[in-house]
Amino acid sequence: MEEIVRAEGLRKTFTLSKKQQRIEQTGETRRIAVDGLSFSAYRGEIYGLLGPNGAGKTTTLRMLATLIRPDGGDAFLAGHSIVKEPDKVRDIIGFMTSELKLEGFFTPDYLFDFFGAMHGVGQDVLAVRKRELFSRFGIDRYAEVPVKNLSTGMLQKVSLVISIVHDPEVIIFDEPTNGLDVLTAKVVTDFLAELKGMGKSILLSTHIFSLVEKLCDRVGVIIDGKLAEEGTLEEVAKGDLETSFFELYHRIKGDAV
Amino acid sequence: MKLLALIKKEFHRFFHDPRLIITMLLPGVVIFALYTFIGEISYADEEREYRVYLSGDSAVVAVIEQVILESGDKVEWLPLEDEEAARREIEEEEATAILTFSENFDLLGEDARVGIVYDGSSEEGLTFYSVASSILIGVGMRFPIEEEAIGDISEMGTDYLSSILPMLIVSFVFSAAMSVTLESVAGEKERGTLATILVTSAKRRDIALGKIVPLSCISMLGALSSFIGVALSMPKLMGVSLGTFGGYSVWSYLLVAVSILGTVPLIVSLIAAVSTLSRSVKEASGYVSVVMILTMVISLITAFLPAMGDWVVAVPVLNAVVAMQSVLSGGLAVWQTLVGTGINLLFTVLLVFVMTRLFSSERVMFGK
Repeated sequence: MEEIVRAEGLRKTFTLSKKQQRIEQTGETRRIAVDGLSFSAYRGEIYGLLGPNGAGKTTTLRMLATLIRPDGGDAFLAGHSIVKEPDKVRDIIGFMTSELKLEGFFTPDYLFDFFGAMHGVGQDVLAVRKRELFSRFGIDRYAEVPVKNLSTGMLQKVSLVISIVHDPEVIIFDEPTNGLDVLTAKVVTDFLAELKGMGKSILLSTHIFSLVEKLCDRVGVIIDGKLAEEGTLEEVAKGDLETSFFELYHRIKGDAV
Repeated sequence: MKLLALIKKEFHRFFHDPRLIITMLLPGVVIFALYTFIGEISYADEEREYRVYLSGDSAVVAVIEQVILESGDKVEWLPLEDEEAARREIEEEEATAILTFSENFDLLGEDARVGIVYDGSSEEGLTFYSVASSILIGVGMRFPIEEEAIGDISEMGTDYLSSILPMLIVSFVFSAAMSVTLESVAGEKERGTLATILVTSAKRRDIALGKIVPLSCISMLGALSSFIGVALSMPKLMGVSLGTFGGYSVWSYLLVAVSILGTVPLIVSLIAAVSTLSRSVKEASGYVSVVMILTMVISLITAFLPAMGDWVVAVPVLNAVVAMQSVLSGGLAVWQTLVGTGINLLFTVLLVFVMTRLFSSERVMFGK
């Protein structure tokens, strides 16, 4: 199996503001978000980073997407270092999170062309790709409708399609179904399954067991910024993913929940 | 190519949204309507009459008379026989000014001289001085203008065009830049659309320039709208004819334009940097308003302290205000304009660099 993502000792710490210290009733000035995280994902698979809120999943994915720099360690996506070649990494990844939005004023057609240009995709290739993706996901009928007037489901489809405008090798999704209603969540899970069918490598973070069970080939469990366990879904789930996760969690954290 | 796409997006966003265009151009219309209304009230049925003592002769006199008559006012030229008596009349507000031309003034030889003694305490005296000096500046400034204001000189005793206009220009640029930049940078950050662009492979520097270049052009349009509003309302508001603006040489216009061109990107990048740092449009608006007030106060102070040292050229924005004042007063402040513009552009580059750093900061871009 060909390694497409390799994280090597990724580390990220944040300074806590006085306000944060007061809210969390702590005297510590620095917080370790990711603590020497190493894992590998292979080409063509869906790799899930599973963990509770605050475990460091989002920070890890943001480091992989080169939105923030790690304090230590490195990661390689299709051989490109996130520390030394962030521009190249951004060219080969598609990144989706609920925090990334599309400007409501523009149409899907305009945004597809704009983000295509942002990734340096040629106009001929872009036109073909737009036709193919818009038709495949039923966006073509809404191509000229401003994004702010689209339904939530259609908006999600447009966001997903635009995140892969440049045909990325690796697709990173941070909490892909978080905060979505059941219908829109289904749009996302179907989209992920479709991408996998297209041979794409996908890395997603979630705290939803059913999503991991439904989609992931391999899983890495993160607790307190460290990789607690890694393996195929069968190896990690050991029959029941939820039960295995809580057993692991209690082994590491004791009774603290 | 990526920078071009970013620039085109900003222009597309602005020129395809009537709401934004109206927001940008409305201040000019409002200024025109408001100033004209104030002028109508102030000068309703008021016809000014100038009594000016004249010594020597020049074709300029006819031009001054024409401008005054076009403004709907009257002028009476009186031969200067006893200067002391004429000065007393000015002090007692019975005469407006004394205009003295040297012999063969129209030949504009090396000994060409002109003197204006005017009543600095009356509207008539100030307006006459403003009109006459502007027309004289237009003749070419190869001769010195000896000016003297007598009477109880008000703060507005200096030529208000040259002292107030630069401050007005900076304030127009600032408010125009504020209205588009806050929405485009702080607004996009707040809505999460800026982060979507950061995930692409476009360089942070291009993303910053992709904002500053188009927003500077748009801000110029907005400032121009406000400026036209003021220029058109000037005859009603101050009793100053539009012809006053035509009294400057091409070089003067060019120097003022250079000062403005150097100031706009600086103000836009300053607002853009503050917007990037802020969490919302509201927060950014608060910070930028403070900066705007500070700039206005400093610009206003320079209007009444004309003799500032050369050190002013090193102070961003202020250098442009002082250089414009100098040019509009009839001087050709070439080095001040060029050095000041260079310094302003240098600060712009610095702010673009700051923005690129801010775009890479987790705390700034994704901090709660």
